[in-house]
Amino acid sequence: MFRLKKRESFLGVSVGKRQYDLPLNKDKGNNFLILLIALMSVMGVLALCGSFALSEMKTRWTSGLENKATIEIPAQDENGVLLSNAIIEDIAITVTDLLETQPNIENVERLSDGEIAALISPWLGDSDKALEQFPIPALITVHFAKGADSDLIAERIKNVAPTAILDRHESWLADVLEFTGTLKAVAIGVTFIVLFTTIVSVAGAVQSRMAVYHEELELLHIMGAADSYITRQIQRYMMGICLKGAVIGTFTGITMVLIGTWLAGSGESALIPRFTLSGVQWIILLLLPCFIGIIGMGTARHTTLRNLRQMA
Amino acid sequence: MIKFEHVGLRYGVGPEVLTDVNFKLEPGSFHFLSGPSGAGKTSLLSLLYLGRRPTRGLISMFGRDVGQLSRTELKDIRQNIGVVFQDFRLLNHMSAFDNIALPLRIMGHSEHEIQENVGELMEWVGLGDHTQMLPPTLSGGQQQRVAIARAVITRPRLLVADEPTGNLDDEAGLRLLTLFDQLNRMGTSVIIASHNMPLMEKFSQHRRLLLNNGKVDIVTPNIEIKQKLEGMF
Ligand SMILES: Nc1ncnc2c1ncn2[C@@H]1O[C@H](COP(=O)(O)OP(=O)(O)O)[C@@H](O)[C@H]1O
Ligand SMILES: [Mg+2]
Repeated sequence: MFRLKKRESFLGVSVGKRQYDLPLNKDKGNNFLILLIALMSVMGVLALCGSFALSEMKTRWTSGLENKATIEIPAQDENGVLLSNAIIEDIAITVTDLLETQPNIENVERLSDGEIAALISPWLGDSDKALEQFPIPALITVHFAKGADSDLIAERIKNVAPTAILDRHESWLADVLEFTGTLKAVAIGVTFIVLFTTIVSVAGAVQSRMAVYHEELELLHIMGAADSYITRQIQRYMMGICLKGAVIGTFTGITMVLIGTWLAGSGESALIPRFTLSGVQWIILLLLPCFIGIIGMGTARHTTLRNLRQMA
Repeated sequence: MIKFEHVGLRYGVGPEVLTDVNFKLEPGSFHFLSGPSGAGKTSLLSLLYLGRRPTRGLISMFGRDVGQLSRTELKDIRQNIGVVFQDFRLLNHMSAFDNIALPLRIMGHSEHEIQENVGELMEWVGLGDHTQMLPPTLSGGQQQRVAIARAVITRPRLLVADEPTGNLDDEAGLRLLTLFDQLNRMGTSVIIASHNMPLMEKFSQHRRLLLNNGKVDIVTPNIEIKQKLEGMF
């Protein structure tokens, strides 16, 4: 099928090198194809790392929010009149007591004034005086157990404290999901472009080589070569090219990601988590060249067989 | 072993190159195929080595109707046919050795067998010192020997050669036909397209297929027919 030969030829004498029945190694389009596959692999790595980072962000942003609600007792009544801290305290206690008697509630927690002060300090400044001057809204966190009827609980709270606001984080969750969903779709789109481009370019390369080497293919047929014999060589050859391109591209892509996160890592940001790859994610990235190699091989195989069957 | 019945061939929409070809070749036979240039010798040979399908008629080889063969059966029959093309059709990117070894590799022979058989045959055809040369660096005569060696390396049941003495001097042509004669004695059926009259004379014990006007006459050599032939050229 192919044999080991060191170098193509020297002064008209062939010297050992891996050689095929068709002069595939001499094709000028090979380097272009390798470059193209390498670029596709870089895009593939970026898309993969992007979706890894995305799911990491999503879990971080939404973790634990699903079964939680926050009840805010505002510092003013329905008419916008400021309430005193004592009245707010009364309402908060009423609501807390009510919640504790409800079924399917795992835990009720009231944020202390200190915690609330810490939350709003960025807006009001650190001064204790400011906190004394203004009434502070009360915040109560509720953990629902499975099967809790949050609508019913919301209604009961309304009965005892009409101004209380039950925030089930639905809109936040929806926003996060929509945002990450969009990015995920982009990542999937990029992956499809990468796949599609790989398949189209490999099929095109095979097709053009088969046209160029039509006479040689005919000769092989006349000598009694089975389609599978010819196909094996071409698919093996194309897999080699795809692997070469994909390995170059994958390592370039990984290097880019590592440098990128290293540069971004200097400024600590809580919202965008620091990006590190888990073991499984490393394996997925390193499997990318194999995957592209297999795609290339399959495409070459399919294209070759289809073309050969049209020959005599 | 080989039977042509009312075989016709045309290229595209052109005129029929072969109109009504009928003949039968027995196993182990030796035939020359002669006829004026452009008579369709090369075309007829391409039907024989299954490089092309006829437009009309029936061809059967080794007892099988060629038109009914599956791709696998077609491949198996082709492996029993050795072909020397008029223009050799060597693969220029591989060494003389690898060119000759190709049919064996296609048939899946072991590398050990290949080294042994190809080496021996190359010695025998006088290419022992040129095993690793690429065809473009060989002389015309050497390329032809590579082509012939490639055609016989598998010991085919049928050997088809298209004008193999074309660019050989008389002596080399004679040696070549002697080689084909030896192969024939070992059981290979041989059919050689040629218009080298003097050379065919030297092997006048063999019958000729005379191709003219798209038809084939089988000619058993005798004086009268010789005269008929001479009138044609
Ligand atoms: N591939 C082809 N396409 C079209 N016409 C062809 C082809 N091969 C041969 N011919 C035509 O068929 C006729 C016979 O050619 P050929 O078989 O080569 O004759 P010969 O070998 O006896 O000289 C010629 O007229 C030639 O032009
Ligand atoms: Mg001819």
